Amino acid sequence: TESRLLGLVEHTGAHALFIFNHRRMAITGEDVTLDEIIPISHDFEIVEACHFGDIYIVFTKVRGLELELEVRLPFGSHTRLFLHEVNKAWSGKMQLLHLPGSCIGLFSGREGTRPGGDASPSQGNPSGTRTPDLPESRPRKGKGEDRNDLVRSSSHTMSNKAQMLTMPQFGLRDNLIRCELLKSEELYTYVKNFRFFVGTYNVNGQAPKESLRPWLSYSPDPPDLYCMGFQELDLSKEAFFFNDTPKESEWMRAVSEGLHPDAKYALVKLVRLVGIMLIFYVKKEHASFISEVEAETVGTGIMGRMGNKGAVAIRFRFHNSDICVVNSHLAAHIEEYERRNQDFREICTRMQFRQGDSSLPTLSIMKHNIVLWLGDLNYRISELEVDEVKNLIAKKDFETLHRYDQLKRQIDEEAVFKGFVEGEIAFQPTYKYDTGSDQWDTSEKCRVPAWCDRILWKGKNVQQLTYQSHMTLKTSDHKPVSSLMEVGIKVVNEDLYKKTFEEIVRNLDKMENECIPSVSLSMREFHFRDVKFMQRQVEMLTVFNDGQVPCQFEFIQKLDEPSYCKPWLTANPCKGFLAQGSRMDIELEVFVNRSTATQLNSGCQQIEDILVLHLDRGKDYFVSVTGNYLPSCFGTALHTLCLLREPIQEMPLETIKELILVEDINNLMTEKPLDIPKEIWMMVDHLYRNASKQEDLMQQPGLRNEFEEIRDCLDTGTPDSLPGSNHSVAEALLLFLEVLPEPVVTYSLYQQCLDSSSNHALSKKVISMLPQCHKNVFNYLTAFLRELLKNSAHNHLDVNILATIFAPLLLRSPRKQDLGEKRKTQDFLRHFLDPDLK
Amino acid sequence: IWTGLLPAPPLPQRTMAKQYDVLFRLLLLGDSGVGKTCLLCRFTDNEFHSSHISTIGVDFKMKTLEIDGIKVRIQIWDTAGQERYQTITKQYYRRAQGIFLVYDITSERSFQHIMKWASDVDEYAPDHVQKILIGNKSDEDQKRQVAREQGSKLAKTYGMDFFETSACTNYNIKESFTRLTELVLQANKKELDVLRVPFSEELSIADLEEEETQRDAGSSSQKNCWC
Ligand SMILES: Nc1nc2c(ncn2[C@@H]2O[C@H](COP(=O)(O)OP(=O)(O)OP(=O)(O)O)[C@@H](O)[C@H]2O)c(=O)[nH]1
Ligand SMILES: [Mg+2]
Repeated sequence: TESRLLGLVEHTGAHALFIFNHRRMAITGEDVTLDEIIPISHDFEIVEACHFGDIYIVFTKVRGLELELEVRLPFGSHTRLFLHEVNKAWSGKMQLLHLPGSCIGLFSGREGTRPGGDASPSQGNPSGTRTPDLPESRPRKGKGEDRNDLVRSSSHTMSNKAQMLTMPQFGLRDNLIRCELLKSEELYTYVKNFRFFVGTYNVNGQAPKESLRPWLSYSPDPPDLYCMGFQELDLSKEAFFFNDTPKESEWMRAVSEGLHPDAKYALVKLVRLVGIMLIFYVKKEHASFISEVEAETVGTGIMGRMGNKGAVAIRFRFHNSDICVVNSHLAAHIEEYERRNQDFREICTRMQFRQGDSSLPTLSIMKHNIVLWLGDLNYRISELEVDEVKNLIAKKDFETLHRYDQLKRQIDEEAVFKGFVEGEIAFQPTYKYDTGSDQWDTSEKCRVPAWCDRILWKGKNVQQLTYQSHMTLKTSDHKPVSSLMEVGIKVVNEDLYKKTFEEIVRNLDKMENECIPSVSLSMREFHFRDVKFMQRQVEMLTVFNDGQVPCQFEFIQKLDEPSYCKPWLTANPCKGFLAQGSRMDIELEVFVNRSTATQLNSGCQQIEDILVLHLDRGKDYFVSVTGNYLPSCFGTALHTLCLLREPIQEMPLETIKELILVEDINNLMTEKPLDIPKEIWMMVDHLYRNASKQEDLMQQPGLRNEFEEIRDCLDTGTPDSLPGSNHSVAEALLLFLEVLPEPVVTYSLYQQCLDSSSNHALSKKVISMLPQCHKNVFNYLTAFLRELLKNSAHNHLDVNILATIFAPLLLRSPRKQDLGEKRKTQDFLRHFLDPDLK
Repeated sequence: IWTGLLPAPPLPQRTMAKQYDVLFRLLLLGDSGVGKTCLLCRFTDNEFHSSHISTIGVDFKMKTLEIDGIKVRIQIWDTAGQERYQTITKQYYRRAQGIFLVYDITSERSFQHIMKWASDVDEYAPDHVQKILIGNKSDEDQKRQVAREQGSKLAKTYGMDFFETSACTNYNIKESFTRLTELVLQANKKELDVLRVPFSEELSIADLEEEETQRDAGSSSQKNCWC
């Protein structure tokens, strides 16, 4: 088993499943490669199977492509949602198939004779279970849904708000509970016997003329259930074409009057297809234990679909047993036994009962605990002449005669009714008699007597008490047949059931809690000591998946915050995927740069943050990050630095905080501020004395470690003189200017500088308007630059180079600069770099 | 269709058939150490740990309850009680339909803080959120600092139900979780009734005793009830 990613892809109304290979953890599209595409066409289907205590298993079969794929999806709501979408895509496809004109398979019995010759393919079939003229009024399941092995996920339709309260994806839970209840059925049920009356009667189109009591009520004790099947109830054209017959109610009355007088019965269901009718009664006291009653019909007559032959069936649940009763009238004529076998198979595949929960697959006849099959099966006696047959009957040698019975032979050859049992036949053939008599057929055809009318069963705990015909009834050319059966039914013990149910739910809760993604973290608190400007510090956080499922983690944003962490912090990676039992190192990196230095220098902010590590569909973990920041002159305002006579780290944080709040220097002064920050003086003086003739000064990068020494020297005052090469000092100076919170030429005067860039006098005037310390710094720096230009023979510097380097540092735009603006700032600066200038 | 006639559901298929799941989120709030995690553990796993491993984050567990025949699934969120995490845990309030305000009867301080927790709830939780007050560690009577009456009085002023519980002895645990769930269920009844409609609309009243009269009813030959 390999891990794959499964995607449902929609393109212009068509759907397909895309199956991707993926790297260990797939985060971006580059991590996955397409492995296979399975179009969701009409021959696509899904079969779900669930394994309790394990994960959920889904098989996807694709018949058309001869492809069968087995996928195990993780337990959980995501899976349910996904399957729901796939099913939706699939049923959308099926609906397309059902557009009028394309469903020829659903042949209608009424089509040819419908008044007006409406040519649209009909939606009904000629059974009594449909409302023929309002085919759309009852949303019936389409052909596609007759497929017995399709599982549709529950798709509840509810109001929006209500939907929020429910989790339809928990349909999965219900399925699991159902599975478990079924598995542990023996724990809470016991078998109890009930007496079933099963009867079959081909009435040859006759109306009832005599009491049915001899057939229905011959036993001393009243049966618990009655299942009576009729055939050839009405042979008229009207019945055939319109499925309408007055005989239905006539026979129903006869039946209800013929029921055992010692008990009260309730009619549960009646179903009829043309002349094939099945009636189901129960004793009233059992009524509340009958549930999930469904009736269906299958026509196998003319064109293989019409209702002149076929079957009707009723399925129901009695206590905890699922029972199906089938009444069939199979193909006639002595030589047609193969057709009869085929009719049987047709009925078995096409008879599908829908279930109350439409998300469940339909049920076939054979899926029931007990199947009772009765009817005019039409199997005859072959290889014997009429006289031989009648002879054997006269001798009551039914055993010998039975050997020539087609049904027996076909069953012995396992060609039909596999798994079914028939009791011993100790009655003479029930066909064919002269109507109104006990005489064998005297017509010209002089039919060979046959056991057309039969009763069979399938399932455990069935015992046949009687199996007989009823000669006294003379209405038809057939005799009715009956069987009393003792059937063992699974009855629920309420207390045990409740206990089992609760246990299952408890286990399921437990399992679900165990399936909540979970990780353990190597540390919950991180402390970064002595964090310095532009100096990276990294700590390692190890995340270990100690849960029972793979998990997806991510650091998530807190409310009202733009990012999952403060700008000086990064987690790398900040999201990922962890297989069960695997671990991952996450780098927590603290790096204070220009954008965060100012606030930290001033103490307005601290190195302090709480990260929220969120697991998809799981818990949240807090990780706290703390640290102490060593303030730096880098990122501190010029006017503040002018107030600091000592290196910044020698000053108490409180003092710095106070000094920053001072807007107007002249207001407070106990001591006169410095003209320019001593840090600038130190760097510039160092360069002036050591680097005036340095080749490529300002153009070669400094070294990072030397920069760090220079920074520490400026911030702590030791050593006495600046360490590092000239290039590194120059680099430090440039960086210093770059990270000033307010540039040397203040933002407020920036625009004026642009405006006056072409005019020397105006430019100088703008500078005179700068705050004192900014003006001092500007003049000091430009004087230094002019000094450098005097040595251009050695240091290769010229006005253009210096203007290009310093203009963007001294004149920073509050907005994004365009090219023209850039040029103007350089022009402006050039006015101050002319070596002749005084 | 006629299954509507059946009395109380004796059959598994009835209890299982077409039910809706309701999911509610409940939140445990209170100072660090009052026993929130222990309450949850006792309720879902029937376990108790005497060591205090402070929750640093937000944890949750699921549990299914049956109330008035409705299967209710509750997701119980256990939050960090430590003060420094409170700004973050507040973000979780708005997803809750029910809140346990928990104090420790052996800690006057934790009881005082209920006021603060309650006002945070007012500010950050949804308006219709249901609350109950829990005084935990009732087994530690000899160390008691908050009288039961104080707890019930405070609950009364807030209009909440009140339980003294012990995660240690499993006292009143199921009761308090069930109670809050009931309150939440009641508060959301309107939404739930919407759910009931499709459930009942198909039920037709058919009378067993009227067997005879309906026999010839209608042209449709399918009988859906006890006619
Ligand atoms: N005697 C007694 N001790 C309890 C009870 N409930 C919890 N404790 C103890 O109290 C301590 C704290 O319990 P926790 O459940 O971890 O506390 P908490 O409220 O989750 O704390 P934070 O996660 O830090 O917010 C533990 O040592 C528990 O053993 C109780 O009912 N009785
Ligand atoms: Mg805790």
